[in-house]
Amino acid sequence: MATISLMSSDDALVTVERAVAERSILIKNMLEDLGDSGEAIPIPNVNETVLKKVIEWCDHHKNDPPTAGDDDDNRRKTTDIDEWDQKFMQVDQEMLFEVILAANYLDIKALLDVGCKTVANMIKGKSPEEIRKTFNIQNDFTPEEEDQIRRENEWAEDR
Amino acid sequence: MADNPELESFRRKWREEVAGRSKPRATPPSVAPDPQPTRFPPRQHEASHRKDLEEEGPPPASFDPEELAQQVGQLTVKPEDEHEEDGFTRKDHHEPRSALEHFERAVEKEAAGNLGDSLHHYRRAYRLDASVDKSYRNKHYAHVWKKPTQPAPGTEAVEADAVPAKTTAPVELETIPTAELIASFANLPIPPAESLVENTPPPPCPIAKMPSEVIGEILRYVALRDPATFGRVALVCKRMAYHFAHEQQIWRAVCQNPEFGFAGMHYTFACDIYGNPVYTLDGVRYTPFPEGGSFEIPKPLSSWSQVFQSFPRIRFSGIYISTVNYTRPGAQSTHQTVSWNSPIHIVTYYRYLRFYPDGSVVSLLSTTEPVDVVPHINKENMMAARAISYKQHQRQLADQGQSLSGATDPVPAVAQNALRHAHRGRWCLTSPVPRPESSVEEENTGAGPNGTDESSDPRDIVVETEGVDPKYVFTMHLSLRSPSASKSHVNPSKNTKLVWRGFWSHNKLTDDWAEFGLRNDRAFVFRRVRGWGIH
Repeated sequence: MATISLMSSDDALVTVERAVAERSILIKNMLEDLGDSGEAIPIPNVNETVLKKVIEWCDHHKNDPPTAGDDDDNRRKTTDIDEWDQKFMQVDQEMLFEVILAANYLDIKALLDVGCKTVANMIKGKSPEEIRKTFNIQNDFTPEEEDQIRRENEWAEDR
Repeated sequence: MADNPELESFRRKWREEVAGRSKPRATPPSVAPDPQPTRFPPRQHEASHRKDLEEEGPPPASFDPEELAQQVGQLTVKPEDEHEEDGFTRKDHHEPRSALEHFERAVEKEAAGNLGDSLHHYRRAYRLDASVDKSYRNKHYAHVWKKPTQPAPGTEAVEADAVPAKTTAPVELETIPTAELIASFANLPIPPAESLVENTPPPPCPIAKMPSEVIGEILRYVALRDPATFGRVALVCKRMAYHFAHEQQIWRAVCQNPEFGFAGMHYTFACDIYGNPVYTLDGVRYTPFPEGGSFEIPKPLSSWSQVFQSFPRIRFSGIYISTVNYTRPGAQSTHQTVSWNSPIHIVTYYRYLRFYPDGSVVSLLSTTEPVDVVPHINKENMMAARAISYKQHQRQLADQGQSLSGATDPVPAVAQNALRHAHRGRWCLTSPVPRPESSVEEENTGAGPNGTDESSDPRDIVVETEGVDPKYVFTMHLSLRSPSASKSHVNPSKNTKLVWRGFWSHNKLTDDWAEFGLRNDRAFVFRRVRGWGIH
């Protein structure tokens, strides 16, 4: 069982099974291009906590069939999240978005999807004001603009 | 006497009211010649001549200028804050006491099409307070109801004419076109909230750090789950409004979605009228935007959100209701000699249509009000109620209130009684593109009385249902229409109405077609129902 080392942004060394790390297309391509030199691979955008969280996910999913290009659409069509992933994503919002950013950077499509679906679930059924509260977003519309957009988009309300 | 201010103001209100009442009565609905005279060659149904076939105006208000009627519509159809509220749940109504409460109840009844009760409450309200409509407007429309400049006491004579103008003139602001406005939002950051308490760090706003493509991914899942929520996201901040308007990939995916997009539309019947699926030989059904296929945005539309918005589409997330009111003179009592006291009956009944993505439909004609029956209209309840009506109807009547399907989903007796008369059926839209020659034959069953429906409007829909007797099949020809835009609804949902084009009954044994008169029938209007098609 080959292992490789990853170096997080805060200079922590994380050792991980190569098959697990290759859930990340970024790392996989890097290993293919450069060969395994035995040196730690720097992951400059991800800190240790987040990196470990991501690896936890990769480890659980290491036996999943690799995502081919054409089942991309099928995966993205469903909005369901499997039970383990739901539990995995029960973290605070900052961590959730850190994981999403890391998945985006490391090119782990399936994890990115789980993250985005989780955020979509937090939006589901909420009013604009509730969404702002949930994510601490400020309303930057003037009342006139807000009214204009509301009337323009009214058609979507009935689906 | 003459300068009693109270009396003066009472007179003034009285005149306003009289003027307000007599005015809208005089304006007939806009008479526009039907621009598409012959769509159904077989036999022109009387219904297709109707002038309301095109854009139908606001429902006739029996009480005040159109403007109020629109606002009432806005009030009842779209509660601003309770998004999942659909108005089909009975709230605990306490009996109205004050004039305002009576008035509110009257508006409610009127919106439900129950004119008799509505009238009753209006009368009570006015008896209690002659200016109750003012207090109603002040309560519900304080924001739109800008106080008009009070006219000087001497101008009462011209005031009556000025009233409608005053009420309908909102403050027009200088605005830039919405498209430009939204385009200017591109690349704006998501603004993080400020700290609630001074000198403390603001609450974390990690979503603000997300790159555009991640925001797009998130919104895709929001939209695929429920496009209505996507619409609300657009109102969160400018950046989101931009995404809503410009994420064409999302709208394309929504268009292809089988739950509410066009993959769920049927252009040939997908089942028989009892709901059993039919299979075509090649197994390929027409869909305008096939998965993985190459297709372009249909002309003259220019974006996928426009396609989703205006391409003919049946909605599964609610019910289509046609409210029919008509009056008929009642018998005069023999004891009365005065003719002005002869009673007039106001009859109200409803046609309900619930469409399913599998191509089936539930059709119900009933006098039961929407609030009592709509939440229970589904195939399971219909079949259960019908099973009862044949076997144990008598017993069921004896212990009314007992639910049929157990504790999980109790169907009230009133809904169950109505559903006993519901019919199974099937639906399909006419194809938006010319059909290939080969498939014309199989169409013959559904195209109409003579089956020679060559030039069809893509908005047309055919619904076939069981008849009251097994030997009949009822065929409804309907056509999707959009409500007209108004000041308060500049961009309303499109294709939310179904107007009548014809209604026939077909005797399967003798192959006779008989036509139903549709003198009183009105267009179906879509209402979203909570919990239907959303998860």
